[in-house]
Amino acid sequence: MFTTEMIQLFAVVLGRDSQRVTEVLLREGVMQFINTSEIEGKKLENLSTASSQSSIKEITDLRGRIEGLLYSSGIIPDAPKVADLSSHVPVDTESEKKFLDQIDGERNGIRERQRTIQQEIIKLEDIKRQVEIYGLGLSDLPLKERHSFLTIQTGKIPVSNIKKLEEGLRGFPALNVALGQEDDTAYYLLISMKREKEQINQILSGAGWTNIELPNELQSVKEDIFKEVSVKLKTLTDEQKKLETSVKNLIKKHEERFRQTWVNLRITELFSTIQTNFKHSSRTVIFTGWLPASKKEKLDKEIHKSCGGRCYFQWQQPGDEEIIGEDVPVQFNNPKMLAPFQMLVSNFGIPEYGTIDPTPFVMPLYLSMFGLMFADVGQGLVLATLGILCAYVYKTKPEKKGLYTLSWLIIWCGFSSIIFGALFGSYFGVALIKPLWFDFHEIISGRNTDNSTINDIFDILLITIYFGISVIFLGLLFNWINIIRTGKWAELFFDKGGIFGGWIYGGGIYIAYYMVKHSYKELPPGTVTFLLVGLPALLLFIKEPYHYIKHQSSQKFNPLIILNFLMQWIVELLEIFSGYLSNTLSFMRVAGLGIAHVSLMVSFFTIAKMTSGVMSIVILILGNILVIGLEGLTAAIQALRLSYYEFFTKFFHGTGKLYTPISLNSSYK
Amino acid sequence: MVGPLSKYSFINAKLRARISKILPDEIFDRLVKASSLDAALVILQGTSFAGLQEIYSSTGDLKKAELELLKNEIELYTNIKHYVHQNSIELVDALLYQFEIENLKNAIRIYFDRKIRKLSVDSNIHYILYDPIIHQIPIDIIINAENFDEIAGVCEGTPYSQIIKKYSHTVESQGSLFRLEIALDHFYYDNLLTSIKKLDHKDRAIALRLTGVEIDLQNINWIIRLKNFYDLPLEAVLATIVPGGFNLNKTIIAELYRAQNVTPVLQDFVKGKYPGLSALLSSQTSESTSRLLLIHRILEEIMKQEVQRILSGYPFTIGIILSYFILKRNELKKIRTILNAKEYDIQQQSIESMI
Repeated sequence: MFTTEMIQLFAVVLGRDSQRVTEVLLREGVMQFINTSEIEGKKLENLSTASSQSSIKEITDLRGRIEGLLYSSGIIPDAPKVADLSSHVPVDTESEKKFLDQIDGERNGIRERQRTIQQEIIKLEDIKRQVEIYGLGLSDLPLKERHSFLTIQTGKIPVSNIKKLEEGLRGFPALNVALGQEDDTAYYLLISMKREKEQINQILSGAGWTNIELPNELQSVKEDIFKEVSVKLKTLTDEQKKLETSVKNLIKKHEERFRQTWVNLRITELFSTIQTNFKHSSRTVIFTGWLPASKKEKLDKEIHKSCGGRCYFQWQQPGDEEIIGEDVPVQFNNPKMLAPFQMLVSNFGIPEYGTIDPTPFVMPLYLSMFGLMFADVGQGLVLATLGILCAYVYKTKPEKKGLYTLSWLIIWCGFSSIIFGALFGSYFGVALIKPLWFDFHEIISGRNTDNSTINDIFDILLITIYFGISVIFLGLLFNWINIIRTGKWAELFFDKGGIFGGWIYGGGIYIAYYMVKHSYKELPPGTVTFLLVGLPALLLFIKEPYHYIKHQSSQKFNPLIILNFLMQWIVELLEIFSGYLSNTLSFMRVAGLGIAHVSLMVSFFTIAKMTSGVMSIVILILGNILVIGLEGLTAAIQALRLSYYEFFTKFFHGTGKLYTPISLNSSYK
Repeated sequence: MVGPLSKYSFINAKLRARISKILPDEIFDRLVKASSLDAALVILQGTSFAGLQEIYSSTGDLKKAELELLKNEIELYTNIKHYVHQNSIELVDALLYQFEIENLKNAIRIYFDRKIRKLSVDSNIHYILYDPIIHQIPIDIIINAENFDEIAGVCEGTPYSQIIKKYSHTVESQGSLFRLEIALDHFYYDNLLTSIKKLDHKDRAIALRLTGVEIDLQNINWIIRLKNFYDLPLEAVLATIVPGGFNLNKTIIAELYRAQNVTPVLQDFVKGKYPGLSALLSSQTSESTSRLLLIHRILEEIMKQEVQRILSGYPFTIGIILSYFILKRNELKKIRTILNAKEYDIQQQSIESMI
């Protein structure tokens, strides 16, 4: 119900033991350090910090470079393990940088080759695209098409000039097909762009090109020319793929080294991060931080062991006068099965230390609201199955932890639908089995179900009103507990969710109940009404004068202040009356969405009855899919909204700071 | 008559969901700090830009990846057209013209370099769009054209034909595309303002305000170019100004162009309309280009504030569509800048000042 009990450690160890102590602190991974600046303000002056930020930055940058390399090959480095701590060796950053530069150089070389090949591919694709757009064939030689940008020519050059020709044409989108050789003469067919005619002609004349008619025996070659373009393209594409693989292989070849270096760097980085929270004197090191009280004994023992007892510890409870820093970090203390609901809570905010963690209460409340809005055994089963499938997919993906937790929320919601579906007798919108509580479908259809307690829609609405009142009172109760635990006694009475506010709310409920019982014609007797609502309302008037006396006593009194008290009192009363009324009525949406859910199913059955055979089955299947998707989402959102705004706002401020110790598993992104 | 709620409720919800997917500053920080282009692209894995890494690792060609970004950006507009109300389609079409005009300009630049300036065709020829954006413009023919008449001819049936015909002689006589490009930009903004005038009163006011700030930015961009490359007299500069600016009219621009200290000129509207930006005015610079860059920076900040104002205000207006386009454009611009900077191994600090 409450967050984990925390304790603060103030420790003094000898400078010579600081490395071993750091190792213990990292291995145990339970300390959330307090920044050294906070220590400074308190009592420790003339001390210096241990690690420099610049050295951490250098290590972090280097680790980031290795990560970049590993990630680009699809390798995700594992967080360091305890065993890595003992085998950890300092990294020679300079030589690692050189090595990484070398790898970067090799990779850039490959990328450069990729770019060159890509240019070749683009040029060939350019030629191919021209042909595809304008539908040219070699049989049309010479090309007459108005918008043809290709020029095709056959010619011969001396064999000695082949290289010169090939090099000259390299920068242009041109296809140079060797047709054969005769003595020292080579025959070519050249396809190029008209727009580069002048430059191409210069290259050709430089290579001693002479235009000729294509010899008869080589006529067949031109038919295959575009096949050749495709073949050349394929060869280049294959080469690209090989180069792409070679980049990955380049990194994979050194994977083990990279992984090891990464782990060493990460450990060094964590060491340095811990040590930035150390304060050094000439011979001693001082640090302080928070840890769960349950871990105290083990950490105490391990540190003593590591430095042979040469240390001084001072343990402080939250609230002690000597504690350093203001915020006590908050660690949730819930079983794993509540993880989806803890996610909903932390999405709203982190509870303040020492106050109630609403997670265990959110579970039954959220699921009850969801079930009431989305009650169907069949559809619940579909939801649960979907959730299980998603959980199975995301289980092995640590980076998708959020989605994994969400999958579990879907599973829980599915089971809630199943239970409420059985209570209301709904199986894919059909009453297959007699409901355990009442028949929702029959009530919505306006048929009497002969159930002694729930007979019409108003009875269903009433259930949700009762439910809402219970939730609001629970919220008020939590608020009072929180206020008592934090010792803010004035708030206990004067807060909107304090005792006077709750008194007015309770009184209001009784008055409403009394009026309903008397057919809306009678109010409770005046004295009772005064005691229930009037008296707490009057008592609330004390609030502003109390605050004035407590906080603004130096301000000169003038008659306008009384008017101010009066106005604030009236506004506060209005807020309390309208706020609680709207909060309570807000829960009617649970019934409303439950009714909408049933109505939608009834509609689909009516539409299905208008058709027959396969069509009616298709309508029912599509209807169920729509209801599961649309209503499921709506119910989930509304249940969340009610939890956040009608329940949490009564007691939960969400201003706590999450406990994030430095450990081997600390996030590094 | 359709009310704003039915016109914009769906697109508002859809675009707000999409806006929430725009890369957060934290990702850009990581991109800037990435050790290499490869490492930067890895960071984009798991985002809507994951495709860039695939293209780059298979080709080593960043320009190809950038071309893909451009296609995606155009796709944004054509995609949104399916979801907006009939009244807003014309405006989205008018916005799409910017891509067609930019592509046409690129094609004409290649023709101009090849034919008029007698330069060899550079590799940019492979990085322009050949698929139609709004009109069927045969980009191939423009690139391979023999003269401007041929280009104007193949653009027949589009609004660009007359503009090209009108300015072809000026381009040839001056040996510069500058007048033609300005004319195309003027056409874009005229067309955009015309489509804005057809909107309802409330939408019109919002669209004019946002487009006005964009026109201010465009005008400053032109002036920076004119100052750096052409050093034109003030009268010639003023002739290039696109009308319809929100904060900068011709008088203010003239003052800014001449003034040694821009602060007094700017402070009237900055302090009045955007008091939060007053701090930027404290930057003193005497060099004229730096002065204009400072104004550019202020205008960019103004655009951000205008978008923020729309997003936090009444949701059912054309503002949500325009804001989305502006936010996406900024996001894509940042990605392009960072990736290019990484390719050229530019230092982290310099990249930070660029984005």
